[in-house]
Amino acid sequence: MKSRFFPMAFFLVCAAPFCTTAQQPGNFFQQNCSACHTIGGGRRVGPDLKDVTKRKDRAWLEEFMEDPPAVLHKRDPYALQLQREANGIAMPAVPGLTPALAEALLNYIDAQGGAAPPPAAAPSVAERLFTSEDLAAGTELFQGTRPLSQGGPACISCHTLGTMTGLAGGRLGPDLTLVYQRLGGRQGAGAWLTAPPTPVMQSVFHQHTLQPDEILSLLSLFEDASQRSHPAAATAEIPIFLSGGVLGAALGLVLMGWIWRSRIGSVRRTVLKAAQRGAA
Amino acid sequence: MDVRSQVSMVFHLDKCIGCHTCSIACKNIWTDRRGTEYMWWNNVETKPGTGFPTDWEDQEKYHGGWEVKNGKLGLRSTGKAQTIFNIYHNPSMPTMDDYYEPWTYDYQHLFNAPEGKDQPTARPISMVTGELIQIEAGPNWDDDLGGSPVYAESDPNLKGLTPDQRAQLFAVERLVMFYFPRICNHCLNPACVASCPSGALYKRGEDGIVLVDQERCRGWRMCVAACPYKKMFYNWNTGKSEKCILCFPRVETGQAPACFHSCVGRIRYLGVLLYDASRIEELASRPAAELIEAQRSLILDPHDPEVIAAARQNGIHDSVIASAQRSPVYQFVKVWKIALPPHIEYRTMPMLFYVPPMSPVMSHQANGTIHNASDELFHDIEASRVPLQFLANIFGAGNDAFVRYALRKQKAVRWHRRALTVGDVDKATADRMLQAAQCSPEEAEAIYRLTSLCTFDDRFVIPPMHREEAIQMLEDPLERKQAAGFGFVSGPRRGL
Repeated sequence: MKSRFFPMAFFLVCAAPFCTTAQQPGNFFQQNCSACHTIGGGRRVGPDLKDVTKRKDRAWLEEFMEDPPAVLHKRDPYALQLQREANGIAMPAVPGLTPALAEALLNYIDAQGGAAPPPAAAPSVAERLFTSEDLAAGTELFQGTRPLSQGGPACISCHTLGTMTGLAGGRLGPDLTLVYQRLGGRQGAGAWLTAPPTPVMQSVFHQHTLQPDEILSLLSLFEDASQRSHPAAATAEIPIFLSGGVLGAALGLVLMGWIWRSRIGSVRRTVLKAAQRGAA
Repeated sequence: MDVRSQVSMVFHLDKCIGCHTCSIACKNIWTDRRGTEYMWWNNVETKPGTGFPTDWEDQEKYHGGWEVKNGKLGLRSTGKAQTIFNIYHNPSMPTMDDYYEPWTYDYQHLFNAPEGKDQPTARPISMVTGELIQIEAGPNWDDDLGGSPVYAESDPNLKGLTPDQRAQLFAVERLVMFYFPRICNHCLNPACVASCPSGALYKRGEDGIVLVDQERCRGWRMCVAACPYKKMFYNWNTGKSEKCILCFPRVETGQAPACFHSCVGRIRYLGVLLYDASRIEELASRPAAELIEAQRSLILDPHDPEVIAAARQNGIHDSVIASAQRSPVYQFVKVWKIALPPHIEYRTMPMLFYVPPMSPVMSHQANGTIHNASDELFHDIEASRVPLQFLANIFGAGNDAFVRYALRKQKAVRWHRRALTVGDVDKATADRMLQAAQCSPEEAEAIYRLTSLCTFDDRFVIPPMHREEAIQMLEDPLERKQAAGFGFVSGPRRGL
């Protein structure tokens, strides 16, 4: 069985990048870049890419686009500066970004740069004020009590928030308490959620995109968390839980010791000690 | 009346010299396998002493045997609910330290040691961990009072002895002792059988030998805790419990068990008793002081026609009834009443009986002559170095009347024979003693013969086992006979 399924799985994995390369640079930008970047629409998490080819040479840009972590790893000063400007958030490697596509993307950005920002370039997040219903819905979505409509996993399975009590929430992904500010508020975070760019989030949500109303609810929750709490709050109760566990275990041992209090220790040693005490 | 037959035993402690030949014979045949290193199905203890495992007689610690609670007989160590509650941790389990950590010696070192200034030594190695160990105890650590005063003074049977009696026993440089060889008692009311959650233990119908079915045993070890004599052992290698099997393969072929056969002092007797199985529970619930009489009343007279008829009805073969009529055990226990069960207060109705030992008397010296005579005929029984109360704690459930009776009779027999053969005691005094000990001259002769002049066949009256009758309910005996000795034999091992 195993050997029969393996080639098929292998084929699917290999095929995935080709699906994306077949896209137009415009579509690719929309799906993979617009979460963090605009072209003439102002800064989000990442810089506005208008006139990017004028700020830096194409060779550097292409190298950086293909593998940003590698360039950062080399401690390239310009890349590090970009990271600082983005509040320390590094640009993730974008799957399927081939050298040819990178060149096409740069051409696309140059071409778009002159024109007014296209309306579709910035995913629209409703402008209205958050309501308490939004917050309640966001909490339900985050905690998984209401499933995401496209079947994505609930946030809580990997993330936690400072506003959640106890040890609730996952520790696999980053703490999301201050994510609202980190990703540049409503527009930035909203765009990010529309097309999550990091490899893990992308692989998880690629087939299960978040819907605009869900994003709105989650943003409401993130805003609330960033205003009311701080990341340390999510871990504040760990010592209480730990000491409670240790105390509980100790109590359990004491209880077992009491229930089996007449159990045999070593009879011989007891006899020996008693006799030695008597002699002394 | 539900008559059954039981192969039972008498150990004549007055003849035991404490040589441990029995233990070695047993060890070599049965417990030299892996996992059984620490087991001694037969062991010889020095009394006073704590025995093996240490202090096994202290049931306040080990919770072995039965107790009567609200008029009902129940195990001390466990019950139906407790068995489930404690099944993975039995609080009454002796530890390895209470037995001893079995060891061997690093003999190879004697051959392989590099040349040095000193002779190489063979250091002790644990047979459990394989590490070098410091030996702290052994199965016979207080043999010949070697561990005293630590061990001897911890003997649970010293309970109730007056300070004078203790002084008598422990007088400096005059410490006295006797030997107490022990095997499984193959009890009529075995606590081990009652405690087994798997139903692996059983008492054989035809001869009363208590056995562990190695295929059904799951190693819960409830029997180890329940047996008050601590004669159930857990084999860590096979994960099953084991016990003395009274050498049933030998007994079935008409041979005495190995420990009996090899006994140097010829202290061991074996023969069939007929008993009434329908009254066991009732009699085992009696007050402790009545238990010896109660057990004697269980044992039936094999000459009584009514008993013989009931025995036949229960399928006991005529040859077994004839064997019971010649049984030396019946003579010692029921007719002469000089053999007593060990710790009958555990209520398991042990079917191994002991003739209590005589011991020296304290003499006193006056004007250069030693005085140890008295006008009182049995003064040396009352004044014996091993106090009656001590013996009574072992053989009389604390009641010294039975022990006194047995010792007086033994003493009377000695004086009777002394009057006959040596002549330094006058016949009239000897007769007076016999009378006082409730012993006729004929009985005295019989006791003397079976004690001193007994042949192999006098000591071991082994009944024909008639295995063919015992197994015919399960299989065709002829087919069994034709197939025996051909096929596969596999030893017990861990798992189902």
